[in-house]
Amino acid sequence: MFILDIVSSILLFAGIFFGLSGAFGLFKFPDFFTRVHAASVTDSIATILILFGLILQTSFDINTAKLLFILAFLMITSPTASHALAKSARHGGLLTLPEANAKQQEQTR
Amino acid sequence: MSKMKKESDHSYLYFTKWALILSVFWLLLSGMYNLLLLSFGAVSVIVVLFVLIRMESADKKRQEIGTGIRLLRYIPWLMGQILKSSIHVTKLIWGSPNNVSPTLAKIDASNVPSNRRVLYANSITLTPGTLSVDLKDGELTVHALQKSSVKELEEGYMENKITGIWGKANDGDL
Repeated sequence: MFILDIVSSILLFAGIFFGLSGAFGLFKFPDFFTRVHAASVTDSIATILILFGLILQTSFDINTAKLLFILAFLMITSPTASHALAKSARHGGLLTLPEANAKQQEQTR
Repeated sequence: MSKMKKESDHSYLYFTKWALILSVFWLLLSGMYNLLLLSFGAVSVIVVLFVLIRMESADKKRQEIGTGIRLLRYIPWLMGQILKSSIHVTKLIWGSPNNVSPTLAKIDASNVPSNRRVLYANSITLTPGTLSVDLKDGELTVHALQKSSVKELEEGYMENKITGIWGKANDGDL
């Protein structure tokens, strides 16, 4: 049990680190699309690590199954949400960074 | 006549599968096994099955329930990819901001069977650093944080993994 606790806390701390990195990148990156990438670090790896860390804390009963369900559903819903955001931003006419730069240069010319 | 009979046998198996899956799902989520709650579970399974049977006439292309063995082969690999690219993006986040070179690219996904393209697009979104923006007629629009990850996708590493597990698209597929 002792080893499981250690592995679990390593996973949890790694998850926290990646979650924080994602939040930091959300502020640091320059435009909307790159920020979605930063958020997806929190979305994918941080969730996976934290949930696996929590699974090791259970006594491998029904709660484990519930956590696995949460993981499975998050793996489907979070990329769908990111995709919906990006797609609607694109269809709404938001330009990516290189495109926006090119447009700005054209206007200043 | 014999074909029709075979079809109805098939339907029978299909709905039995659904009934089993739904019951197991309820039991795992509820975790309480007294008579009242079990009967609630039975009622909700029956209601969902009733809706499923009613929907049959509207559903032109029934999605077969697979065993998920192929998915079990795919998911560990995907987790590895997620870990790898997460570390990459985390380095970018903590490093200098000039290293990002956001790109928009079109990736050809016509080799992937049409019912696996969503899986492909979602896998791309799930791995940090690449984001699928649009999927249309086997062509994926991908936004990437760095040009190198677009190159990786164009080489078809992930595509080959999916077609290796689920097989390539037939020519008839669009």
